[in-house]
Amino acid sequence: MSPFFHIIKYKLYSNIKTTLDPRFSSVLRNLVSLLVYIGFAYGAYRFAYVVTFFMMQKTFASLYLFHIFVSMILFVFFIAVNLGNIIVSYSTLYRSQEVEFLLCKPVDFKYIFLIKFFDNFFYSSTILLLGALMVLLGYGRYFYYPWYYFVLILIFVLIPFMFLSACLAVLILMAIMKLASRIGFRKVLAGIFVLYGAITYIFFSYTGPLTVVEKLHHYYPNIDKYLVQATPTFLKYLPNQWVSMILYYVDIGKINLALPYLFILLLITTALFLITILIADKFYYRSWLISLHIKSTGLEPYNVKKVHFIDFRLRSILPPQTEVIIKKEVFTFFREASQWIHLLIMVMLTGIFSISISHLNLRFRLHDLQLITYLIIFSFGGFMVSALALRFVFPMIGLEGKAFWALKSSPVKERKILWIKFLMGFLPILIMAEYIGVSSNIPFVKSTAMQPLLLWLGIISAFCISLVTVSLNLGLGGYFANYLERNPIRAASSQGATITFLLSILYLFILTVIFISPVSVYFEKFYTAGHFNVKIIIFPITLIILVSFILFIVGIRIGFKSISKDF
Amino acid sequence: MIEIQNVTKKFGNFTAVDNLSLKVPQGEFFGFLGPNGAGKTTTIKMIVGLFSPTRGDIFINGYSIVKEPLKAKETIGYVPDVPFLYEKLTGREFLFFIGGLFKIPKDVSKNRIEELIDIFEIGSWIDKRTEDYSQGMRQRITIAATLLHNPSNIVIDEPMIGLDPRSAKVVKDVLLEKARQGVTVFMSTHSLNVAEELCDRIGIINNGKLVFCNTRSQLQEEVARYDGKFESMFLEVTRS
Repeated sequence: MSPFFHIIKYKLYSNIKTTLDPRFSSVLRNLVSLLVYIGFAYGAYRFAYVVTFFMMQKTFASLYLFHIFVSMILFVFFIAVNLGNIIVSYSTLYRSQEVEFLLCKPVDFKYIFLIKFFDNFFYSSTILLLGALMVLLGYGRYFYYPWYYFVLILIFVLIPFMFLSACLAVLILMAIMKLASRIGFRKVLAGIFVLYGAITYIFFSYTGPLTVVEKLHHYYPNIDKYLVQATPTFLKYLPNQWVSMILYYVDIGKINLALPYLFILLLITTALFLITILIADKFYYRSWLISLHIKSTGLEPYNVKKVHFIDFRLRSILPPQTEVIIKKEVFTFFREASQWIHLLIMVMLTGIFSISISHLNLRFRLHDLQLITYLIIFSFGGFMVSALALRFVFPMIGLEGKAFWALKSSPVKERKILWIKFLMGFLPILIMAEYIGVSSNIPFVKSTAMQPLLLWLGIISAFCISLVTVSLNLGLGGYFANYLERNPIRAASSQGATITFLLSILYLFILTVIFISPVSVYFEKFYTAGHFNVKIIIFPITLIILVSFILFIVGIRIGFKSISKDF
Repeated sequence: MIEIQNVTKKFGNFTAVDNLSLKVPQGEFFGFLGPNGAGKTTTIKMIVGLFSPTRGDIFINGYSIVKEPLKAKETIGYVPDVPFLYEKLTGREFLFFIGGLFKIPKDVSKNRIEELIDIFEIGSWIDKRTEDYSQGMRQRITIAATLLHNPSNIVIDEPMIGLDPRSAKVVKDVLLEKARQGVTVFMSTHSLNVAEELCDRIGIINNGKLVFCNTRSQLQEEVARYDGKFESMFLEVTRS
């Protein structure tokens, strides 16, 4: 048997044993995970169906226009898979102990690369694939797809589309390593950052959803004719456009027209995969050595005389235990490249989202449309806050790692450790949440020109969402803590993290449902020039505060129990 | 002073430590021996508060580690079996971090750290991140961190692992000096020679039970009943 299949066999064996662990706690955990996954899958399915139904039935969108939006969503999806794979594959390909172990054995570098590549692809893309499949089910149901369409589209379209993105990600990563050895890691990262920003900017400036909608008004009812002519040529070379076109032609029953796009997708994916293997065969081991070199550049001792403003040697007004724990948290966070780079990306995305929203004119004549827009933007803001909490708060306890003995065996109250961690996660996330909350409500306040009630709703809900998501992520992060996992990205994409994220989404859903009635009345009164009685909002606000407070306490209690466990 | 009173620790159905009672008076150098999986590390983790006993209690200078953990922990310096450190901190930062946890004033910490750098010959490594340290350097930093707050009880699990002969000698000398100054040293080790050389009293644990506990002189008498080798006696008393 080839070493590749031999290693894969034992990896599968180990995974199956872990998954089918017969212990009660493990079975219970797996069952809860399964329930949460089912809930998530059903939610994604319903959402996709409702959105497709709404776009096709309630708006004036034609099928072709709808697929332009599908193409845009697929572009974002492609970039998300690509970035996710770049970040995670750096850990799996260059920082994994398993690689070090295998490199000492008589195994071809190519096989080690392939094993870790598939490891990385399945690890970082499984949830995205599940989500994509459920969206396909919801979408396909609207167009009355027979069952085998789903299977065929999954195998021959969705998986190759994601696989293409993953291959590209690994090629980019190897190029980063090569360039980093010449011009330095930081410069390359900055370059990649600018490159991705530019690609996204160029894509949306040519396909800009707002421009498309504005033009549609002009050309209505000859929308499709305009759209076919106006589609930028470069889109034809993008995989998201191929997938969108495949779906479009399948929907209108012209399978023969979908085949060329399918052929291109499969051909390019196969070719890129072969190129990736070829390059990895020549360069993977060398790039691994480069990663060692990059790491060793940190071997130079620090300038002892240079005192940073949060240096441990400086006195502080804080109590000593609080001071050193905070400093330790700050240093360990900002000295881990994957932490601050991710933070930078997420702050940038939040900024783009908030600035874009605050400049939109969201005054619609239809009260229902106004309400739906408000709820979508509200949910999306909440989603961003949940994503921030998941990425940065969930791993907080687990990342203590095996060095946690130093804190646990010292005379510090475990409550104090937990509260410091909570505040260190809560304060920055609250600031970002309030920024999102205020900026996403500005267009509605401007458009309705009534008392700034929505602004207050935004401020209060941002506070509640921050409180709950941070406490849930901290608590469940402690409950699911894997002290052996040193990679924050892997910790934030583990099974426990997924469950926590889905619970946060459930909380956001509850919040949105509570909001529907008062916000609906608010917009209705505005359009009918009626008087809005502020008392209508009191009960929902009280309910939101109450639910949030209960969940906050639950999160903190789980966190405290987790941190007090045997270590 | 460390007093273990009828302590049992269970993990599910498995009993790691079974009704263990032991008293280590102030200033005694106690060696805790046993084969792999005998319950040494579990006992030590209960002494320092990392594990909670299923039954029984442990008193450190009269404070219960279960009921008054903070007061008990203030008097302990603990060296774990594997010296995991916060990898993104430098050795100096780690020592200041520990100093803060034990509420040592900054200037006192600063002076103590300089002394410990000299004692353990840490040199310029002190200002490099601990992720770049060798096993021995990590061990030196961990032991230095333990001594920073001048604890009256030192609990040390396998202190010689990863140390070169020179560093091992330094550690042995420091621990002996501490015991002479009245500090209680509770040391777990696999090295029979080290135990024989350093300890005032030796306890041997097997399958969670204390199967031997005597002073060094009584140990010599016991050893004489075998072939004069501590190793033979150890193998005999730990035979399952």
